[in-house]
Amino acid sequence: MTNSLNIEQNLAILDRMLLIRRFEEMLIDLDQDHDFGHYHLYIGEEATGATVVESLIPTDLLLTTWRNHGHLLARGTNPGRMVAEILGRVDGYNKGRGGTLHLTDREAGFLSTSGLVGGAVGLAAGAGFALKQAGEGNICVVFFGDGSLEEGVVFEAMNLASLWSLPVLFMCENNNSGAISAQEGGFPSSEIAASQISDIPKSLNINSKLVDGADVAAVHTVVTEAVSNIRSGNGPVFVEAYSERWPGSRPLWPEQATGVTQVASAWDESLLTGEHKEWIIEFDPLIRFIRNQLAEGLFSKDELFDRDRKIQTQITEARAFGEASALPDPQSALDGVFAA
Amino acid sequence: MTAKLNRPQSIKLYKDMVTIRAFEEEVRKMFSAGLAPGLVHLYSGQEAVGVGTCATLDKDDYIASHHRGHGHCIAKGSDITRLFAEIIGRRPGYSLGRGGSMHIHDPETGNLGTNGIVGGSVPLATGAALSAKLRGTGQVAISFFGDGVLNQGILFESLNMAALWSLPVVFVCENNGYGEFTEIDDVTAGRPYTKRGAAFDIPADKYDGMDVLVVYDAVSKAVERARKGKGPSFLIFDTYRYSGHSVGDKQEYKDEKERQLWEARDPIQKMAKLMVKMKLATKNDLKKMDEEINSTVVAAAKVAKKMPVPGADDLARHVYAP
Amino acid sequence: MPPDSSANIQSDRNITLKAAVLEAMFEEMKCDENVVLIGEDVGAAGGVFKQTEGLFETFGADRVIDTPISESAIFGLSVGAAMAGSRPIVEVMFGDFLTLVMDQLVNQAAKVHYMSAGGFNVPLVLRTGIGIGGSLGPQHSQSLHSWLAHIPGLKVVMPSSAADAKGLFKAAVRDNNPVIFMEDRMTYNLKEHVPTGEKIIPLASAAVKRKGVEVTIFAISRAVHTALAAAEILLEEKNISTEVVDLRTLAPLDVETIVSSVRKTGRAIVLDGGYKSFGITGEIAATIGELVFDYLDAPVMRLAAPDIPVPYSPSLESLMVPSVDQVVAKVSTMFGDSV
Ligand SMILES: Cc1ncc(C[n+]2csc(CCOP(=O)(O)OP(=O)(O)O)c2C)c(N)n1
Ligand SMILES: [Mg+2]
Repeated sequence: MTNSLNIEQNLAILDRMLLIRRFEEMLIDLDQDHDFGHYHLYIGEEATGATVVESLIPTDLLLTTWRNHGHLLARGTNPGRMVAEILGRVDGYNKGRGGTLHLTDREAGFLSTSGLVGGAVGLAAGAGFALKQAGEGNICVVFFGDGSLEEGVVFEAMNLASLWSLPVLFMCENNNSGAISAQEGGFPSSEIAASQISDIPKSLNINSKLVDGADVAAVHTVVTEAVSNIRSGNGPVFVEAYSERWPGSRPLWPEQATGVTQVASAWDESLLTGEHKEWIIEFDPLIRFIRNQLAEGLFSKDELFDRDRKIQTQITEARAFGEASALPDPQSALDGVFAA
Repeated sequence: MTAKLNRPQSIKLYKDMVTIRAFEEEVRKMFSAGLAPGLVHLYSGQEAVGVGTCATLDKDDYIASHHRGHGHCIAKGSDITRLFAEIIGRRPGYSLGRGGSMHIHDPETGNLGTNGIVGGSVPLATGAALSAKLRGTGQVAISFFGDGVLNQGILFESLNMAALWSLPVVFVCENNGYGEFTEIDDVTAGRPYTKRGAAFDIPADKYDGMDVLVVYDAVSKAVERARKGKGPSFLIFDTYRYSGHSVGDKQEYKDEKERQLWEARDPIQKMAKLMVKMKLATKNDLKKMDEEINSTVVAAAKVAKKMPVPGADDLARHVYAP
Repeated sequence: MPPDSSANIQSDRNITLKAAVLEAMFEEMKCDENVVLIGEDVGAAGGVFKQTEGLFETFGADRVIDTPISESAIFGLSVGAAMAGSRPIVEVMFGDFLTLVMDQLVNQAAKVHYMSAGGFNVPLVLRTGIGIGGSLGPQHSQSLHSWLAHIPGLKVVMPSSAADAKGLFKAAVRDNNPVIFMEDRMTYNLKEHVPTGEKIIPLASAAVKRKGVEVTIFAISRAVHTALAAAEILLEEKNISTEVVDLRTLAPLDVETIVSSVRKTGRAIVLDGGYKSFGITGEIAATIGELVFDYLDAPVMRLAAPDIPVPYSPSLESLMVPSVDQVVAKVSTMFGDSV
């Protein structure tokens, strides 16, 4: 897919993808030290989140799921405060009450983040409704997995969005392909009788697109068009962004299956030795993007190393910030049960 | 079926439709007389769907019905006196008079119940189909539901599972154009509605629900498919309810012309004409049948009205199964 | 993964609650081919907590059925299957997701037998994991048993230990009603001696887990362990003789055992991991007040989860679970100056 993005945009996307990758690699390590409960990583799907936000404006709203770190980081959320939340500390975005499953950042436009499959999609229709009423041209993006299409509430919400032409972008991140099998402790591949996922929104008269979610340029083209359609009042769009599931993605505790990412493996395959070499070469969206952009001359290898280093420093600081943050005071336990 | 329609079959279809029409008329009178407490939803106008569908079934096949369910119960073979009794809250009714119109279950005829929850019975039929498949009995289940259910999430969940597991269930949507006082087209996205089934790779089509033979043919094929283990079908029948949503509804949201158009397609009249044309019955035969049925139904209602109400000791029975 | 069932039945009879329920499932599925297991990831994956491990290999895909993520229809379908002659065990992964099955549970399953005047039964078990712990956050930590116990027609069972869990589970599978079987995830790995062979514990029977004469602690599920630990301390430090009654089944409630214990001890405190307001602790306190008020030497006390969504952070989460210290302190107050 040819790249309609300009240099600044491509560099911004590169930074976002690197940030997400380094953040989540750090999380795997963080969990060894802190055992913060079960969590879900976005590795392998970064190109989607990092690119979708490029087509949004600051006043748009977003909703997401348990697999939310990438979406928040892409939107500019502070990684230090994210670590704090994941560790259940006071400086976290939810003051430690939500954790990784419910990370939200109001400033960045995020509403509730749902731990329930399909939960965010119902809310998204409501956010779209409010935005339409307000009439200021803002839209709502909801990220959800392929599994959500097995929940009734998702159909009900899509029916309403279609019927009332609500400004909602349904971003279905289908990571089903290559999902580790149930025998190995993974969620089984999603169980949808539809031969094409998009037949389902189509049956509700929702404009539906299919895109390779690991291809930055392709995602950008499809999402930009979708967003402009939605913003001009033509109703919701459903985008299925498919990706090949990252081999480390297990339902409860992810594993560092592909090793810490070496950006140089984009041009030097000899750096790759592990059993998941093929996944990295063929499907890793970050490595794919770097390879393409190097070929296009977007940056030099040195510039790339430089950016990566800066981001790694940022992540180290974020981790330190989160770890230094205090646990919430027990006295605060009752705060916020009811709104004032 | 028209071509090979024989006399006994046609008479059975005709009589069942007339019985339902007469039954509902009696229910209306009972309601007006203050005998039927609560809410009753009449099936008049939609008889072809219930009758055409149930005529394809064996006695031990399952149906799961909805709030407008008297017709399904009759077509599947329930006793009309006991149905009346239940509707007016008498002890010999199917639920000792404790369920009423929307909660009639009849295990003898494989009837998993009329239902007060819109969409509530769809998974019940799907589950009965799963059980039939697991037990290898060859039984089939029919899920009757109204157009309003097209927008209930549980329908999609059920369609998905029925398709995934090739369950012997037939989804029969009775599209009478309205959900209570709301036109279905105003609240339902996407056309045609059959796409909702087709999206899950379920064979889906739309038919004239005012023609009992069309219904019979369509459901027969679906039932045969299900019995052969080839999985579910999704059928939408366009039909019309003559009465209001429930008795007492003045139907100000419908226009006169629309009503006339549908009444001109009345399923009973249509069948009567065809039978005369095909020499399966004379006008006189039909008139006699009508009269007989009417007096049977009126007599049943009379018997039901004399039946006792449940006693206080019936109140707490059957909360738990033994 | 052990491919056959015998490998799962451990010879060392000290087994965990999780293993005990798994054994019960094996045995019930073996002896009645109408028993089927339905749920998300219960099949090939063996359950997200490995709680159904081995069943798929033994009984096959026809009887151990992996479903889409459609809680409402999965449960509704199980009700229909039960009406048609199957005996489903349905798993809802987290008790929090009961909210998604509420219609089918409350409006369908609970009423079918009554509405059909005994014509249809709904013999099924809904199994779900509940409880607070491990920082699962507000949507994965709730204990909503009191909601369910409120509904006539539903039976609610909450075992505290392995042997009880096995016996109660078998009774639940054989019961002809919808039974909700709730296990606190924090008790999954508690071990105890579980007798081999057929031992069925009737539903609606509470158990006296420790005998005492001065005060009764009524508890369920995980809270039973808190009660037992508190009872030990009360004896050692305050010389108070405490009886601990494990209710085991919330609905129907074993009123007889509750009443006779209070007649003996004259003091009662009720302990629960669910919310305090409008919950089971209030129900039991009221029952005692109605039936044996004259025997009471002190007001009936309650300790339960405070009325707050369950927070994620460990420092706050731990405040949600009534502690042994709290029980000891509360019981002590019931003895006024005499302690
Ligand atoms: C209502 C509900 N049911 C089940 C779960 C347990 N669960 C969490 S994530 C998940 C898989 C969802 O798959 P998908 O939507 O494809 O998202 P992915 O994790 O693949 O990104 C399941 C079953 C839940 N959190 N909520
Ligand atoms: Mg997925």
